[in-house]
Amino acid sequence: MNSSTLTSLLRYTVSILIVCVFIFPIAWFALTSIKPISAVFNKDRVVVFDFEPTFENYEVTVLGGKKADTSQGASIGMGTSGAGAYDGRGSILSSLIIAVCSTALATVISLLAAYALSRMRFRGSQGYMQWILSQRFLPPIAIIIPLVFIFRDLGLRDTHLGLIIAHTLINIPIALLILKSFFDDVPLEVDQAAMIDGATRFQCFYLIVLPMIKGGIAATAVLCFIFSWTEFILSVFLTNSIRTVPVKITTFVTSTGSEWGYISALGTAAIIPGFIFILLVQNHLVRGLTMGAIKD
Amino acid sequence: MASVNIENLDKKYGALSVLHSLNLTVADGKFVVLLGPSGCGKSTLLRMIAGLESISAGEVQFDGVRVNEVHAKDRNIAMVFQNYALYAHMSVRKNMAFSMRLRKVDKKVINEKVEWAASILGLDSYLDRLPKELSGGQRQRVAMGRAIVRDPDVFLFDEPLSNLDAKLRVQMRTEIKELHQRLKTTTIYVTHDQIEAMTMADEVVIMRDGYIEQSGSPMMIYDNPNNLFVAQFIGSPGMNVLRCTVVEQDGRLLAQHEDQILALPADANVTAGQVIYYGIRPEHLEPVKLGEGEGAVGGAQAHIRVVEPTGPEIHLYASLAGQEICCISRTRTQWQPDEPIVVTPDLEHVHLFDVETENAITPNH
Repeated sequence: MNSSTLTSLLRYTVSILIVCVFIFPIAWFALTSIKPISAVFNKDRVVVFDFEPTFENYEVTVLGGKKADTSQGASIGMGTSGAGAYDGRGSILSSLIIAVCSTALATVISLLAAYALSRMRFRGSQGYMQWILSQRFLPPIAIIIPLVFIFRDLGLRDTHLGLIIAHTLINIPIALLILKSFFDDVPLEVDQAAMIDGATRFQCFYLIVLPMIKGGIAATAVLCFIFSWTEFILSVFLTNSIRTVPVKITTFVTSTGSEWGYISALGTAAIIPGFIFILLVQNHLVRGLTMGAIKD
Repeated sequence: MASVNIENLDKKYGALSVLHSLNLTVADGKFVVLLGPSGCGKSTLLRMIAGLESISAGEVQFDGVRVNEVHAKDRNIAMVFQNYALYAHMSVRKNMAFSMRLRKVDKKVINEKVEWAASILGLDSYLDRLPKELSGGQRQRVAMGRAIVRDPDVFLFDEPLSNLDAKLRVQMRTEIKELHQRLKTTTIYVTHDQIEAMTMADEVVIMRDGYIEQSGSPMMIYDNPNNLFVAQFIGSPGMNVLRCTVVEQDGRLLAQHEDQILALPADANVTAGQVIYYGIRPEHLEPVKLGEGEGAVGGAQAHIRVVEPTGPEIHLYASLAGQEICCISRTRTQWQPDEPIVVTPDLEHVHLFDVETENAITPNH
């Protein structure tokens, strides 16, 4: 065996090991979601594959089945707080509405701001970026109390709109930072060429520069979406009846026990929308869209 | 088409002044080249004409009409940038059609124009490709195509060839000149390459540090440089310049550089004892091997350092009393490094400059 084969063999081995480490929690989580409760809580040994797969956890959390209707096997005495307490459909819908809207809002606002910051010089434009970024220096928990009061007074507490605004607020600085660097990559001469061709400033932005940074916009949108989809602290404090998925899942940990089956089922299901979203935009997630504009 | 007039144009960035009260007239249909070293303000001037830079003071006029306040998009100019600045997400066809699309030109007309430009530039078979699928030269042609479909009043070129390799540059140079002869659109072209300037221009404008040093036809500037800077900037290999003292021998004025004596033109406006710069272009400095010439009058001794045959001629780099000089031999003599030679200036083409002002010393008539 020559050294290059050995190197590539080693490389593959290490890659596979790393992938295993990262995939293990998700795989275990997904596996738990289809285990009957007896397999989850087996005191004698760890049950890996030797169990009867069941989809009742999904039926209850994602399809709206009643817990009482399903044959739970040996009940380990989980208390329930009323019918539909484990129905995650409303949460998934709320999470989707909030994530999609806040992603769209944050991306659009950041695009306009980033273009201006990248292309225009105005008094204070240097410090402006730092100031906006400083909004992210504080952990959300530090701003949560004032935010709760402000939202209460504005009537935004426990509304979709409220949470959309809160998530947008948190997403804008990071989206702005990323998008500005993509705009900076497009040479100024491209704008100027378009202007000489007769384009207005907005036409430059919309017809020329925007399509050239499609990849950057897609990447930013993915990040915003993931943030909003997984965000917990703001959601838990700013809402009561609207429950986003992460908040909903925590309610499965009750005073009488934790519903691991439901937690893992809803958690696994919650990965799917994010996954679909990334699949949809991944075609645009390619670098080098500005290639060819200039001589590199 | 339009004439371009620049009157007392100033450009300041805060306290920093980069252009100082420039005056320039570009007649309708002319090809004018702004030439100068980097940082001389030539690109800034071009961008002010384009409307991409604000004007601190003075006026830019098209056909006598002030355009200072007219937005770039309304000046009816076309500009080709150094880095091409193509729209990377659009095909060649769409790149060229963009300006007409914005002006809502009829689709049929757009197609005709694009195909006309493509045929002139040899881009017919590339119309549906993206810029990234083209070579550097083809991209440069697309940038030019985008400019010519506009039917602009003025063409502006900002060092369009500096990113191309040497061979392509020569080819594109000819193409741009041909294009100008065909379209006869007023053209302002910025470059730091004096050969580009010499070969393409109807008129060359030489700039330094925000001032216009000299303007005129290429040959006029080549033959009659106003000052030392222009003399040394134009021409390749550059003009030889020797710091000399004027001495009088047997009633004749001669120029002495260290221990070497060079003849002065009879009409030289200098006096004995005066220190001057003695300028002579390589092709006007004739080399002969030491001892082979008939002891030419006014020749100086030098030692060959490097011999560079170029084909039609041989460039000799030699040391004349410690000063590097270049002379050109058009004979097939076997020159050897370290060989002593005698160089004789052609007195018709000697340029003298004042050491203080560096301005040309005009001869007595």
